[in-house]
Amino acid sequence: MKGFELQNIIKSYPDGDAEVQVLKGVDLRLVPGELTALVGSSGSGKSTLLTIAAGLQRATEGRILLDGRDLAKMSQEEIRKIRASRFGFVFQAAHLVPFLSVEEQLALMLEVSENKLDVNAKREKANAMLKLVGMEHRRKAYPASLSGGEKQRVAIARAIIHEPRLLFADEPTASLDSKRTHEIMQLIQGLTRTFQMSTLLVTHDEETLAYADRVVTMKDGQIIL
Amino acid sequence: MKLGWQEMKRSKTKFLILGSILFLVSFLAFIVEGLANGLSQDNSALVKNLPNGHFYMSEEADRTYSFSSIKPQAQADALNAHPDAIALSIQMGFLIDASGKQRSFALAATEGAGLLPSVKRGEVVLDRSMEKEGIQVGDRLSNDNYGGALTVVGFADSQKFSHASVAFLQAEDYKEITGRSGMQLLFLPGSDAPALPGLVSFSKNGFLKTIPSYNAEQLTLNMIIGFLAAISGLLFGIFFYMMNVQKMGLYGILKAIGVRTGALFRMMWTQMAVITVAALLLSAALSLLFGAFAPEGMPYLLTADRVARLSVLFLIIGFAGSALSGIQIKKAAPLQAIQQGEM
Repeated sequence: MKGFELQNIIKSYPDGDAEVQVLKGVDLRLVPGELTALVGSSGSGKSTLLTIAAGLQRATEGRILLDGRDLAKMSQEEIRKIRASRFGFVFQAAHLVPFLSVEEQLALMLEVSENKLDVNAKREKANAMLKLVGMEHRRKAYPASLSGGEKQRVAIARAIIHEPRLLFADEPTASLDSKRTHEIMQLIQGLTRTFQMSTLLVTHDEETLAYADRVVTMKDGQIIL
Repeated sequence: MKLGWQEMKRSKTKFLILGSILFLVSFLAFIVEGLANGLSQDNSALVKNLPNGHFYMSEEADRTYSFSSIKPQAQADALNAHPDAIALSIQMGFLIDASGKQRSFALAATEGAGLLPSVKRGEVVLDRSMEKEGIQVGDRLSNDNYGGALTVVGFADSQKFSHASVAFLQAEDYKEITGRSGMQLLFLPGSDAPALPGLVSFSKNGFLKTIPSYNAEQLTLNMIIGFLAAISGLLFGIFFYMMNVQKMGLYGILKAIGVRTGALFRMMWTQMAVITVAALLLSAALSLLFGAFAPEGMPYLLTADRVARLSVLFLIIGFAGSALSGIQIKKAAPLQAIQQGEM
């Protein structure tokens, strides 16, 4: 079965002798070309759900189906390969590699995803991607010389250069001002449609919801809307 | 690998500091190695320059060659049975030159095949270092216990024992000067050590180890070299540990985007290898050059094979030191790194 689906996800943590359940049987299906925003108050479990969906931590129970294959049953190495080739990540902070130039950041991602393109094709692809995010003029720059908005644009380019099936974005505009927030959200929305990715966006910021195709609200570890 | 190199290009100062510390440590280790080898040569060139073979001394000597005495019959039997064997006696002593200056020598007498210089009565062959000290062929040397004078008939290359030049004497002259008759040692070239009645055999290295001064000297110097190698390993361990702790966030993010843990180890080992090889090349070149400019009389002998062996040791220790610190890389958690914010 094609697509990405979370089925009955439960996540519990030990708390002394007791056990705290932060996700209480969550079901969620992500659709290609659609930007799904996950909202909810702090502690509602939305970031936990995103990290489980992205294979960054394991669920206590439940199934994470990617084209019918269950990530919950895969080894760490299998999950790593999927993260490298089929998932893209944009975090609250850009998390760029400090000693790599902008174009090297993108080249690294192509290498990690074991892209079969030759050197010239990789360079062309990186340039095209930087153009798409409006950063082609800074391709030789290092992270230390970039502004917050520029860093986030590079992070987005890095997240999608290998054409992932899913883009996970955890509050990508949290550290940006209103103008930059709109720029970045327009970019994520446009790229989601252009590349037909399924994008899962965790956000606190109501301004960003206007760009979502679907808004999912969480409360106390459950989806309520 | 490429990542490691890219980081080094971007953070030159950081890696230059580690490289220069490693250069100083390895340079010091090479110099001490050169001195150890030079002193060893100065102490035992007479033994080391013999072909591969075995020494024999009497059982009663209890591993002390100066107490050993080979019975004349046993010596004759051994020399007859093994035509390339020699009998040898060594004792520290002195000879006085024409100007009346007393000079220390390792007095040696040999019998048998021509592995060592042999002389007639009244003649002496000296180590070539004495030529630099002004002694010439034809000079006459005396000793209080010797009735006549010994004529210098030649010089032999690299013949030193116990830090003294060797003086090769005829057996009767040796007996007259030292008061000792008979030979202390037998030496049989070849890889086999046939059993000889009443005698104990030692390999060349085994024989050197029976000489207390040689052992103590080499043990001390080798301990210094060992410590320097251990220090360099610790330096690597500490440096990469500190660097890895600083980079935990980066490692976590790299893991999150799919970089293999093995690739992160390779990144660190590339840096270790580049720094070590650069530091070793520079220190090896300078320490080999040091031999040419070392003060006269300093027993310094550093050979390329010793440099290569010590370099391999440094590389292995550097590899192990950085690998131990690399446990941090294994611990780096993507989730934690993401939650920590900007690196």
